[in-house]
Amino acid sequence: MAYDHGSHAAPDDARPLWGLMAEFSDPASLSRAAKHVKKEGFRNWDVYSPFPVHGMDEAMGLKPSRVTFIMGFMCLTGFTCAWLMQWWMGGVDYKIVVAGKPLFAWEQATPILFELSVLFSAFGAVFGMLILNLLPRWNHPLFGKQRFLRVSDDRFVIAIEAADPKFNEPDLRRMFESLGGKHIDRVEEES
Amino acid sequence: MSHAIDTNLIMARDNIELSEGAGRGLSSVLIGVGAVGIAATILAAFSGDEAMATIAAHAYHTGVMAVIGFSVAAMGFVMILQQTNAGWSATIRRQFENIMSLIWVGGLLFIVDIAFQLLMNSARHVYIWDWMNAAHTAGDELYRHKSGYLNVPFFAARAIAYFIIWFVLARSLWEYSTRQDIDGDKWHTARARTLSAPGLLLFAFTSAFAAFDWMMTLDYHWFSTMFGVYFFAGSMVSMLALGALILITLRAFGRLHGAFTDEHLHDLGKLIFAFTVFWAYISFSQYFLIWYANIPEETAWMLRRKIGSWEWLSWLLPIGHFIIPFILLLPRPMRRSRKAVALVSLWLIVMHLFDLYWAIRPEAKIEGQDTILGPSPIDVIAVVAPVLVFIGFLIRKVGSGPLIPLKDPRLPEGLAHKNYV
Repeated sequence: MAYDHGSHAAPDDARPLWGLMAEFSDPASLSRAAKHVKKEGFRNWDVYSPFPVHGMDEAMGLKPSRVTFIMGFMCLTGFTCAWLMQWWMGGVDYKIVVAGKPLFAWEQATPILFELSVLFSAFGAVFGMLILNLLPRWNHPLFGKQRFLRVSDDRFVIAIEAADPKFNEPDLRRMFESLGGKHIDRVEEES
Repeated sequence: MSHAIDTNLIMARDNIELSEGAGRGLSSVLIGVGAVGIAATILAAFSGDEAMATIAAHAYHTGVMAVIGFSVAAMGFVMILQQTNAGWSATIRRQFENIMSLIWVGGLLFIVDIAFQLLMNSARHVYIWDWMNAAHTAGDELYRHKSGYLNVPFFAARAIAYFIIWFVLARSLWEYSTRQDIDGDKWHTARARTLSAPGLLLFAFTSAFAAFDWMMTLDYHWFSTMFGVYFFAGSMVSMLALGALILITLRAFGRLHGAFTDEHLHDLGKLIFAFTVFWAYISFSQYFLIWYANIPEETAWMLRRKIGSWEWLSWLLPIGHFIIPFILLLPRPMRRSRKAVALVSLWLIVMHLFDLYWAIRPEAKIEGQDTILGPSPIDVIAVVAPVLVFIGFLIRKVGSGPLIPLKDPRLPEGLAHKNYV
């Protein structure tokens, strides 16, 4: 590849270690490896694949997303806002009788109650997802690795962060090797 | 990841068949109690005063519509599954075919319904379908415009046509599925799919027009283009709930291990949830447009349900038929819990009966009076009795054959079904 992310940066070994990555050839071996990493009790790690791998949540031991709670909260917020807005605008602040209807009634308020609940929930889903995924961010240490870029094409990667309490490089290398990981490589922090 | 599926264990006889004569006793009791209930309703109609007569007739009509709704909605659901070549449902489809195949029970109860009507008409001059009474419609300009559609011969011809269409469709789909159990011919699946395309079209028209004919025209001045969908949505909810109850009960009796899993339950829960929301959406739309347009000939129907005890009973629908099941089925773990889905299903069936009751029963009126008759104890018996008869026959039907389509080509897909979200 012509473009090298690391070319203008400091030499690799001068930068602190971010973690260790290993490549796997197919989703099945990736899942097997993920199950093993989970069993070993690692916490700061993730898997990377070109497509969603069925059953990976279970293999990694991921808990259900907390984004639902954000959405639930936003839904109720939207509902309350819509109620207060319509009651205040139509019923209190600027009273105009339209087509002989009550100034404020749940019947005519319902479409807006529904719309704002959905809109706020959608905002909660999108922005909640971004926040929980620690996004947006400019770069990631893994992007410094040429081989990692193929993860959007035909490679499957597991990376364990040095921040993990159980991180021990020689042990990890052995573990990845025994799981069939190829191109086990150190990943440095961004410079 | 993928769990190994032991097909031999799943296809063992004691997993996919009920023991000989299972549920016979309960079935006979239910049919017996239901029949006594129907008899009591008819007796009450003829021995009480005129109010009692019209109340009993409307309430019994409600129960019959619920029973017809079960079978017709199940037929629509089976055709959707066949038409979309659904693999996930292969192991649970038979139970919906069981509900579908009992369309004859609905037909039989409907004949009783009509006979009840004719007897009442001659003996007490009570009508459910007020437009059939020539003395009432004489000089009615609105009726004159509708008389091309709303007349007894055409009404009868339509009713017969609906039942013939339903019976032929249900019978054919049942035959394809059960014949495949024996000969394993995969072309039965293809035939069922071919039939389902025009079948779904017929289903949509017949179920909508049956709802127009049998429920909407109880007040022949009133009209709502949404009424057919309203009946369809409610029937789908109750039918899916009934199917879920059968499957959960079979699991409780140690059947369908590996065939009806938490994954299938999860998807059924999603469907029940979705149709509950759909029902709420179209019911509110129907009410909202009438409320907002405020045209006298439309609002009269809604107004009748806002008078006396009907006013607070009406609130039971948005709360009990939507908000409560919505909140209960919203969390993922609830849709994967057999106990939770069973409870919500039972609740929704009761709510659907109440929904039909709310749509039909306030139309009961006494000749020459404007009073709106409130709920009465005979209502409960008259509504529930036909449903008990249906459940009785259903238990018999479930026990009479294999609990899954034995040789459906999509069976492996259904057994391996899994939700990844």
